[in-house]
Amino acid sequence: MAQVVLENIDKIYPNGFHAVKNASFTIEDKEFCVLLGPSGCGKTTTLRMIAGLEEISKGTLKIDGKVVNDVEPKDRDIAFVFQNYALYPHMTVYDNMAFGLKLRKFPKEEIDQRVKNAAKILDIAHLLDRKPKQLSGGQRQRVAVGRAIVRDPKVFLFDEPLSNLDAKLRVQMRSELKKLHHRLDATIVYVTHDQVEAMTMADKIVIMKDGVIQQIGSPYDVYFKPKNKFVAGFIGTPPMNFLEAKVVKGDGGLWISAEDLKVKIPKEFEEKLESYIDKDIIFGIRPENIHDKSIYKGEHTNDVVKGKVDVAEPLGSETLLHVTLGGQYLVAKVDPTTTAREGTEVELILEMETMHVFDKETELAVI
Amino acid sequence: MTKTKLIISYIILIIISLFFITPFYVTLITSFKSLNEVSIATMWNFPKHFSLEGFIGAYKKLAPNMKNSFYLTIPATIISAVLGSINGFALSKLKFKYSNLIFALILFGMFIPYQSVLFPLIRFFQKIGLYGTIHALIIIHVIYGIPITTLMFKNYYEEIPDELIEAASIDGANLYDVYTKVLLPISIPGFVVVAIWQFTNIWNEFLFAVTVTNNPAKQPITVALVNLAGSQVVEWNIQMAGALIAALPTLIVYIALGKYFIRGLLAGSVKG
Amino acid sequence: MSVQKNKSRMGFIIILPSLILIGIFVYYFIFWTIRTSFSNWNSFSSLLRGVYKYVGFRNYERIFMDPRFQTDLWNTLFFTLFFILGSVGLGLFLANLIDKGIKGSRFFQNLFLFPMAISFVVTGTVWSWIFAPGNFPNDPQGLNLLFKKLGLEKLQWMWYTSSESIGHFNLALIAVIIAAVWQMSGYIMAMYLAGLKAIPEEILEAARVDGANERYIFWKIKMPLLKPITLSAMIVLGHVSLKIFDLIYAMTGSGPNNVTDVPAIYMFELTFRSNKYAMGSAISVIMLLMVAVIIIPYLYSSLRRGVSS
Repeated sequence: MAQVVLENIDKIYPNGFHAVKNASFTIEDKEFCVLLGPSGCGKTTTLRMIAGLEEISKGTLKIDGKVVNDVEPKDRDIAFVFQNYALYPHMTVYDNMAFGLKLRKFPKEEIDQRVKNAAKILDIAHLLDRKPKQLSGGQRQRVAVGRAIVRDPKVFLFDEPLSNLDAKLRVQMRSELKKLHHRLDATIVYVTHDQVEAMTMADKIVIMKDGVIQQIGSPYDVYFKPKNKFVAGFIGTPPMNFLEAKVVKGDGGLWISAEDLKVKIPKEFEEKLESYIDKDIIFGIRPENIHDKSIYKGEHTNDVVKGKVDVAEPLGSETLLHVTLGGQYLVAKVDPTTTAREGTEVELILEMETMHVFDKETELAVI
Repeated sequence: MTKTKLIISYIILIIISLFFITPFYVTLITSFKSLNEVSIATMWNFPKHFSLEGFIGAYKKLAPNMKNSFYLTIPATIISAVLGSINGFALSKLKFKYSNLIFALILFGMFIPYQSVLFPLIRFFQKIGLYGTIHALIIIHVIYGIPITTLMFKNYYEEIPDELIEAASIDGANLYDVYTKVLLPISIPGFVVVAIWQFTNIWNEFLFAVTVTNNPAKQPITVALVNLAGSQVVEWNIQMAGALIAALPTLIVYIALGKYFIRGLLAGSVKG
Repeated sequence: MSVQKNKSRMGFIIILPSLILIGIFVYYFIFWTIRTSFSNWNSFSSLLRGVYKYVGFRNYERIFMDPRFQTDLWNTLFFTLFFILGSVGLGLFLANLIDKGIKGSRFFQNLFLFPMAISFVVTGTVWSWIFAPGNFPNDPQGLNLLFKKLGLEKLQWMWYTSSESIGHFNLALIAVIIAAVWQMSGYIMAMYLAGLKAIPEEILEAARVDGANERYIFWKIKMPLLKPITLSAMIVLGHVSLKIFDLIYAMTGSGPNNVTDVPAIYMFELTFRSNKYAMGSAISVIMLLMVAVIIIPYLYSSLRRGVSS
């Protein structure tokens, strides 16, 4: 069992900067937990506090049920993979991986066995005699992971480990890390600013902004049920469209209404929006839930908007239409067979079952 | 660059080179002359007969002082480099309260005119009975070397990412392990730079040497060289050979390890 | 106790011995020198008696009234001025010549830098021989002899034995300044070379594309970017020249009528030849103040910069 529990954790730097505010969450045993957020959101600080590299200003950190606030990093039974890998430049790959075991006075044979085993898993067995300088970025990355694996720690901590790799290698390492997680059956805390990494690898995502946790949930939850406008906008590319609008009553139900926009709210949402009638709200809908009416095959009623195409970006598998809609702005990810071109008018269908509504003041999700 | 410009550049460089070589030339030719060939009228001429008379004479007079200089320079260089390395480690990787203020206080010691500590310094060594010894000079050069060696190592270690230290501490290293097993092995270039710098400076130093050692047998070579010129009749071939001998160790270091020497020079100017 | 606190406590413990040593050998000894400079310890017997008698600023008054010390101050001023001008000028000039990437630049660089590896005492000895005037025009020596051979008799001169002066500038200092520039300008060249190398080629290319000629690029782009280096060079040279001792001691000594005398020489003679410890200390304190005036702001600003970056 290697459960990590954060209870009301704060980080305040001596210069007064409040990096993490009242963070509370639990990383279950064998869970792959991703801390996600823009740079400066406090995610790395949180990870470093779990590692013991950063002092916890307030709150309690428990690993395996034991409070470890004042335990040295080396005694927390964790391993850390750094963004820049932090390999010891004067040691061979073998010695880099063996260093922690040697310091812990493991018998020689066991060190050898563990290092070779990890090297095999990571496919770096042929590099054991090399120095870090002689390795490519991807190979260094593997050695850094290997250094963590040999220790067989309770918890693996990763700090943006893929950010120094090129795009292609990143995709490959992503799936390898995921496989490794299953193979090792390990508890992993993984920091990234890349939402794709988070969505593809995580069991649980913790989204942070300005030191505050915005939402904790599965990839499914944070994508389909964002708790606030920030999460809704942060997850997904291109990001969710936000339109300022009003909820109005009439013509057999509730409507989202703004200039050049009048679409009917599905029945199931009406109850939640009762109190917002005639009030300003933020209407959100993802680009992938908007379609070009001329080529759309599904059924639809009362969900069509008309706008002018500013830019059309064909991406191959789909086309992005940037559309102006009465002074506001909308991106639609439509089928590539669309005939809409720059400067033309286009009729778009909004899949209203996927709509989101946010309170204009609090930016919290109503739907 | 056009051809004429290039030629002009070379001509200028060669003229300036002559200015830089002149003292070296005079020293070299004079030191290889015999005493009867050394005359004012022929001082720019090449020696007619190469003679080692000057070197033999200079060696006889300076050999003990040369030995003193080695006894002084080598331990002082090693100790001050080690001290600087430890201090640099503390100041760059173990940030503590007021560490910047402490660094500034230490650094100031590098710029002071040593005249302003000389009198109490000598009284201090007289009191503890070390006055006039090489040991006193070693202590002096170790202590007054602390600012520059600390500065050089601090700058050197600041280039090393903190993550390396953190990785080691997660791997189970305590501070001693971190220093000896991670930092020290990658400090070799830093040690070369600092050691060359200290070696050159201590070898060439004069003020402390002339004021702290009064017995000619205990004096470093710089003092002995000046005293050589102070004698009644200056035997210029011996004098110049002596200058050459006195300059030789640092010159050899410079020729062999010039790259590191330049790095040391540049590191010496706080932050460029 | 927490991990980070432990680490920073260790940092302090590690630095403590050095801090104590510097505290004693720099700050306490400076205090001691200041204290001595206010005492009557101007003879060996007064020191032996060991009784401290405070005499106020009397030693400073005597020093400042002393014509020799007044000469020293003027000499320091002009020496510093021309030494800095000469070294920065020659160093910058050489750096630019070499930076153009001509063949053999490494050789020239090493040649110009080699005096830095040699002690002032050695070079002072050699230069004193070169600049020794001899009985010219008939029986010249050193450089004067060379001038005679080259038919440049007009350039023959008394060099460091000259008692000519322009205003307060003793021309005998010229020989010392040449020797000092010879010794230090390679260092300044190395500093500028490092600075020039750090200027991204793109900036210069952009300027060339914009139509700037080389002269414009030098004055309007390179020089402003090299400003911090010029400042560092001036500080380094300035504090060397305020403390200059070995070179002059080995080359000329005080010279006739103190034409090449400087405070460090006078301090040395007062303290170690005449046993006037209090007056010697007063000179040391004045030297320290002169150095502190340029060093403290420099240290403050460069450490400031270090902290923020």
